[in-house]
Amino acid sequence: MLKDLKELKNKAQEEVKQANTLRELERISKEYLGKKGELTQILHSLKDLPKTSRAEVGKETNEIREFLKAEIDKKVSGLEETDKKEEEKKEWIDISTPAPKPNLGHLHPLTILKRKIEEIFNNMGFATIEGPEVENEWYNFDALNIPKNHPARDAWDTLWLKDDDLLLRTHTSPVQIRYMEKHQPPLRIIVPGKTFRRDATDASHDVQFFQIEGLMIDKEVSAANFKAVIQEFFRQFFAKPIKVRLRPGFFPFVEPGFEIDMSCLVCGGKGCSTCQKTGWIEMMGAGMVHPNVLKAAGLNPKHWQGFAFGMGMDRLVMMKYKINDIRLFNSGDLRFLKQF
Amino acid sequence: MIFSYNLLQSFFKKKLPKPDKLAELLIAHSFEVEKIAKTDNDWMMDIDVLSNRAADCFSHLGMARECAAITGLKLIIKKYDLIEDKKMKINDLLSLEVKDKEACPRYTAQIINKIKVGSSPKWLQQILETCGLKPINNIVDAANYVMLETGQPLHAFDFDKIQSIVVRRAAKGEKIVSLDNEKYDLNENILIIADGKYPLAIAGIKGGKRAEISETTRNIILEAANFDYQAIRTASRRLKLKTDASLRFEHGLDPNLAGFALQRLAGLIQETAKGKAVKNTADIYPQKILPKKIKLDLNYVQKLLGIDITVKEIIAILKSLEFKIITQNQNKELMVEIPTFRLDINIAEDLIEEVGRLYGYENIKAVFPTTALIPPHRNEELFWENNIKDILKGIGFCESYNYSFISAEQVKAFSFEQARLPEIKNPASVEQKYLRPGLIPNLLKNVEKNLDYFDEIKIFELGKIFSRTAGSVREKKMLTTVIAQKRSKTEQFHQLKGIADLLLNRLGIADVWYNEYQPSSKDIWHSKKCAEIKIGDKKIGFLGEISPQFLSVLKIKAKAAVVNFDFHLLKEIALEECDYRPISRFPATIRDIAVLVPKTIKIIDVLNKINIGGGKLVRDVDVFDIYEGISETKKNLAFHIIYQADDRTLTAKEVDKIQNNIITTLEKTPEWEVRK
Repeated sequence: MLKDLKELKNKAQEEVKQANTLRELERISKEYLGKKGELTQILHSLKDLPKTSRAEVGKETNEIREFLKAEIDKKVSGLEETDKKEEEKKEWIDISTPAPKPNLGHLHPLTILKRKIEEIFNNMGFATIEGPEVENEWYNFDALNIPKNHPARDAWDTLWLKDDDLLLRTHTSPVQIRYMEKHQPPLRIIVPGKTFRRDATDASHDVQFFQIEGLMIDKEVSAANFKAVIQEFFRQFFAKPIKVRLRPGFFPFVEPGFEIDMSCLVCGGKGCSTCQKTGWIEMMGAGMVHPNVLKAAGLNPKHWQGFAFGMGMDRLVMMKYKINDIRLFNSGDLRFLKQF
Repeated sequence: MIFSYNLLQSFFKKKLPKPDKLAELLIAHSFEVEKIAKTDNDWMMDIDVLSNRAADCFSHLGMARECAAITGLKLIIKKYDLIEDKKMKINDLLSLEVKDKEACPRYTAQIINKIKVGSSPKWLQQILETCGLKPINNIVDAANYVMLETGQPLHAFDFDKIQSIVVRRAAKGEKIVSLDNEKYDLNENILIIADGKYPLAIAGIKGGKRAEISETTRNIILEAANFDYQAIRTASRRLKLKTDASLRFEHGLDPNLAGFALQRLAGLIQETAKGKAVKNTADIYPQKILPKKIKLDLNYVQKLLGIDITVKEIIAILKSLEFKIITQNQNKELMVEIPTFRLDINIAEDLIEEVGRLYGYENIKAVFPTTALIPPHRNEELFWENNIKDILKGIGFCESYNYSFISAEQVKAFSFEQARLPEIKNPASVEQKYLRPGLIPNLLKNVEKNLDYFDEIKIFELGKIFSRTAGSVREKKMLTTVIAQKRSKTEQFHQLKGIADLLLNRLGIADVWYNEYQPSSKDIWHSKKCAEIKIGDKKIGFLGEISPQFLSVLKIKAKAAVVNFDFHLLKEIALEECDYRPISRFPATIRDIAVLVPKTIKIIDVLNKINIGGGKLVRDVDVFDIYEGISETKKNLAFHIIYQADDRTLTAKEVDKIQNNIITTLEKTPEWEVRK
């Protein structure tokens, strides 16, 4: 009997080895392990065997059964793997086919970079503040040390409202005064916002544009501090080392006044068409807050000092994204807006 | 302003740095140099003099002073020896009167007899040409040359053509013909130089034909006067006439310059046109300007600039600019005398600027401020603004920025009440006549333009709108969202309602309801498709489709709908918190129900009935089908009803009971029929 079992095992093993399809394996499995399979039948007939050999034959049969089952499973998974690989080989897609795009919206480029600017300054301790777009002469000019009938006032071509001696703010600087009136130093703020000038419009000028103002007032805030803050801002904003140059400048609300140049992004300072061969790009006006401005806002210039700066945000965004016409910002043109 | 390198060099014995090198130095310490160009045997430099420095630096002498201070080279001013006719005295020859002393703080004049008019020497002509002036004759050229040198505008009259000189306001109706044969009508806003009868020149702006220097001129009278900047500015604007002279006066000039310039002019004319000067000059200068004195605290210099600079260095810099140190107090404080030509220096900070720029801003080391580490307050308004923008971006909307203006045409189309609109007095264009009272007009303009390129438009803007109130203008931020589609499956009203619901939900705003609204016939809204958005009694926004008639007025060839929110109200009620409700461990059971109701029945009424009949075990009800094709009068509404309890699994029997209760509740209403 044991000898027969051995032959049976060899025979089944050989059949599994020869089998090439899942169907054949299924047949083999049924033939030996199925309800009416040969091994199952042997197990069923155990009760007819003499007691002495019953245990041994039973054990052997079960071992063969387990062995065979494992062999078949191994073969099946091998064949299945081959089948899937074959199937995969038949499949093909054109990866160059344009894909359907999920419909995501877009933020205005000025919003995107305004957030970035705010983040950099917020991290340096500057709070973001806003102010009114319709102003009066006091906040827009007088308090900023730009006296009536002074030639300097001409530099700000102003849009006036028909009544009530109001105007559209020509810069974000009035917010300096408004903020200092209500807050005791030390203070650090930036003021992003819309500004207006009665300018002839072209690719680099528009009636409505965006400025960002900065103000820091404390007991000992110096030009050296300003240099560090502004250099850090440009470095982070453009994510590369940027050289900053201070030149003498004149703005009535600061003294000393600075013009701020930044090393040209395109040529790195060697001189190219973007920077008109100078290696520098004019970025902003700045300076140490004029004592008259502190006084106008109710602060004592003997106790407080600080710096202020103002820059055109449109210009910064145009440089960053290489936008060639400032008027696109207010165009509402989706062909433009959808690119950001 | 254009400068001649040679003329700058004329103030130095030693060689100035080469033009490009000099330009670099000037850029770093004084002014931007826009351009350098070679001329015949000179260099022209276009220097952008800062407007507060016009008084001293709209002149070669001023610029040479800058060069001297920067380079350390010694500035030398050439002196002329004047040949005087001692027998004649100016007061015997000329009657001079200044009637408006405020507009003319100083008037000086000198007479030179027996000159010979001819052409100027070549070197002088070349300098004029480098600076963009046309040589005329040796008298006029000399006046121009000395103006270039000193910044003082000068004028020469033919003395034989005039009897006296009066400086006065012109009378209305007076006229003058200028040197270049232009006629000007004068009035009391214009200061003139006249003789007994006629205007001879427009003061500080342009000379007249009447006393022009001609080839036959023998005796001349030279004028060097100081005019008030406002008087000249007003006149120049009224006459629409800008000249080299008016440009200089408009920025203000040192009255002391007049005497110095007059002497130089007389000296130069004697060199180039011979003649003898009459002894003495006429000089009406009632209030002589004296140098200012300013106290400078040395600590403050260091503190404001953030540099370690020594007293010695500070003094050297101030002296290089011709400032005088009067007293020095234990290295703590300087008393500085400011030369009168520096009109821009008035306070200690002005002196600190001088120290800073000559010390060199490039030498200031960047140092981060040492201040308390106080993080900035969050700007709540901006926080919610960003939040809202991100939500709308996430669901496919594009942010638009528009001009804050609207045109008269838009005002008419939208029937805005003109009295409430802030109007611009001097608009840059007709498109920008009023401040916008809402965001809708310009957003619909965006729609109209973009429909040429897109079939579907989803845009929004968050910005300020304006309204006039007594004596002031009110600004407030609005949020407006617009969709426009050439084709759409779902009602646009409902599309935007879904968006409004989602937005409000994400802002933590609950209990919103839509109140039916009946627009007036003039309104832009579709009479049947608009609603107020409310919380309780408070209106927070408006939702509606634009009426087809108004769309055609705006030439929009698509359907469009708008949802409008008052941003400040949204911000006030928005909540950042989010309450988490534990996920029930017990499964939900879903049953469907279909109700046949008259077409005019609102879904909200059906939903309310379902909720009343269902009670608290109905967790949610979803409308999944609305079919109106059943009959003329009725529609079929189908709902998923979701049953769930927090503490047990609901049995089929329990659910059946509630469902039956709902059906009973629904069918109590006449004409409502639950389909089984």
